[in-house]
Amino acid sequence: MRSMSLIGLVAAREIGERGRSKPYLITSSLTALLVIALIVLPGLFEDETDTFRIGSVGEGNSAIIETAEVLGNSGDEEGAAPTLEMEEVGFSSRQEGESALSEGDVTVVLVDGVEMIIEREGGFFGGGGGPTALLQQAAGAIALEQVIAESGESAEAVIDIISSESLDVTPLVEAEGDTGEASVVAYFGLILLYMAIILYGTWILTGVTEEKSNRVVEVMISAIRPWQLLAGKIVGIGFLALVQFVGTIVIALVTIRLFASFDIPDIPPGSLFNLAVWFVLGFLLYAVLFGAAGSLVGRLEDAQSAAMPMTIFSVIGFFAGFAVLDDPDGIVARISTFFPFTAPFTVPIRVSLQAIPLWEYAVSVVITAATIYLAVRAAGRIYAGGILRSGSRTKIRDAWRSAEG
Amino acid sequence: MLRIDSLAKRYGDVVALDNCSFEVDRGRMLGFLGPNGAGKTTAMRAVFGLVKPDAGTVTWNGTEIDDEARRRFGYMPEQRGLYPRMKVADQVAYMGRLHGMYKTEAQQAANSWLDRLGLEDRKDSTLESLSHGNQQRVQLAVALVHDPELLVLDEPFSGLDPIATETMAEILTEEAAAGKAVVFSSHQLDVVEDLCEDVAIINAGSVVVEGIVKKLKDAAPIRHIEIELDEGAEELLSDLDGIRRVTQKGNVHTAIVDAGTDVRVLLQKAHQTGAVRHFTYTTPSLTDLFREAVR
Repeated sequence: MRSMSLIGLVAAREIGERGRSKPYLITSSLTALLVIALIVLPGLFEDETDTFRIGSVGEGNSAIIETAEVLGNSGDEEGAAPTLEMEEVGFSSRQEGESALSEGDVTVVLVDGVEMIIEREGGFFGGGGGPTALLQQAAGAIALEQVIAESGESAEAVIDIISSESLDVTPLVEAEGDTGEASVVAYFGLILLYMAIILYGTWILTGVTEEKSNRVVEVMISAIRPWQLLAGKIVGIGFLALVQFVGTIVIALVTIRLFASFDIPDIPPGSLFNLAVWFVLGFLLYAVLFGAAGSLVGRLEDAQSAAMPMTIFSVIGFFAGFAVLDDPDGIVARISTFFPFTAPFTVPIRVSLQAIPLWEYAVSVVITAATIYLAVRAAGRIYAGGILRSGSRTKIRDAWRSAEG
Repeated sequence: MLRIDSLAKRYGDVVALDNCSFEVDRGRMLGFLGPNGAGKTTAMRAVFGLVKPDAGTVTWNGTEIDDEARRRFGYMPEQRGLYPRMKVADQVAYMGRLHGMYKTEAQQAANSWLDRLGLEDRKDSTLESLSHGNQQRVQLAVALVHDPELLVLDEPFSGLDPIATETMAEILTEEAAAGKAVVFSSHQLDVVEDLCEDVAIINAGSVVVEGIVKKLKDAAPIRHIEIELDEGAEELLSDLDGIRRVTQKGNVHTAIVDAGTDVRVLLQKAHQTGAVRHFTYTTPSLTDLFREAVR
């Protein structure tokens, strides 16, 4: 009981001081602004019409350009402003057209409805992008129309054959619910989880190192136990992290509903719960270790290098997450499930994609929870030993020896 | 009563404490003296469990010190440190709460200590905006806020101006008079001499002198002589039996002599040499005792 109230006091100080501090308020509002901007700004630009000037030499180009324009706007909602306009610019000779193209006056030049001159071949933006692909499609469509007209078949029948999926698809394992939405949740969940662990883990790391470099820790430890101080810090910063994390997600969802031109996917509540469970597990595991790392160094400059192992593990977990998104049943997925430092990144994905047997999930939770327990014990001791030692860098072994378990 | 018994602590090849023992009673104030590196800080940190001794015990009222007992101790570490961006009053109250005080109780105590220490108009300032001396006062408030039974202060006088030194001395005297056990380390021997009835002198990890200052002085095998003559004091002193050390400042000569030395002979010879402007014969000062002890 006494321990709990001390941990509560430390956590409350952490929340009160850090929560009111400029860095916290600034990062919180910047993150919120960034999220709003990412959602609202594309919507603003979407309504603008792209205008392309298409050079035209000779006859037979107008039909292609008109068809391309229709194709380019085919996805628009009815009544909305067209996303794309093509303006035909006539030239009397091929040379005139080419010089206008190289000056950037027109995007491409069509010649006699059979040839297209583009500025350069290949390259990252060369070839199919922009209006050239549309013009190719348009020319193809016009040619197809002629063939159909000559064959006597109706145009609709042919288009029907081309556009339908001719093979029936039979999955061995049928998905329950919408896997598309599940992968969206898994994908964004992975990115958020990684960012949260790195960002908030770093708060713990620097917070601990600051206490050591300010030497306030000596007074603190004369009153309370090192593990109580560490636990209070993790709870306090964890709370602020959760507020910022959930706040950002809520702001994102509200902004999408109010402003964005796309809809929120129906997020299965099970997925969200699962994400929350692994956020807590992952944050705890990494936070405890970040805390221990912070206690070993005397200056903020050295803190990042002390935390290197955790950073490496989390990056491995992050990339394993992408591999698992691609192949949720594969070898990477299975191995990472049983490795406590990667499980928080990959298991939620496998759950979202319904690609994890119950026993694997259960074993993974047990392994991770057991590792957290061991990490708390070990990190608590390293922290206790490291936090009171002076010098810029304390060896783990020395810290371990100078403290009681 | 705080009792430090046969403490030993090594860091690799360095011996920090070697069979170190001393006691502080409630209502008493102990000056803990020793040259740099003698083990003062290590011994004080051991009281708070900040150092795990290799051998020996630290007890309070006869029992091993646990978390509960430690919460009734106040500590001012050698390396000062508080949260730089936290407001002074909040900080002191927070430390009070960590020592088991209720919220309002801690806030009231913080306020009254800050008033007492002359920081009434800096309560809402952040610690880092305060001068060095004022930060030191806050550090003292932190050690005192929870009305501890034992006060352990590592170099509380270092870096203080004479006025602040006086305030600090006053507060420590009051606290001891109020029944607290007070122990502090210092290199300012004159301050300790004015303030403390009890001293312990530590050298190379062991307490070599411990006791009541007056008794120690009386029992010391040396005496302190100050003599001022117009001329000839040097030869006079060097002829004296039992002379240990002579220092000179202007015409004033200060000598440490064996306790058995016959000063009447010295005084007679001095009269024959010329006018005696100044002559004192006293028990040794604390500084003299200290020098003898750590030599």
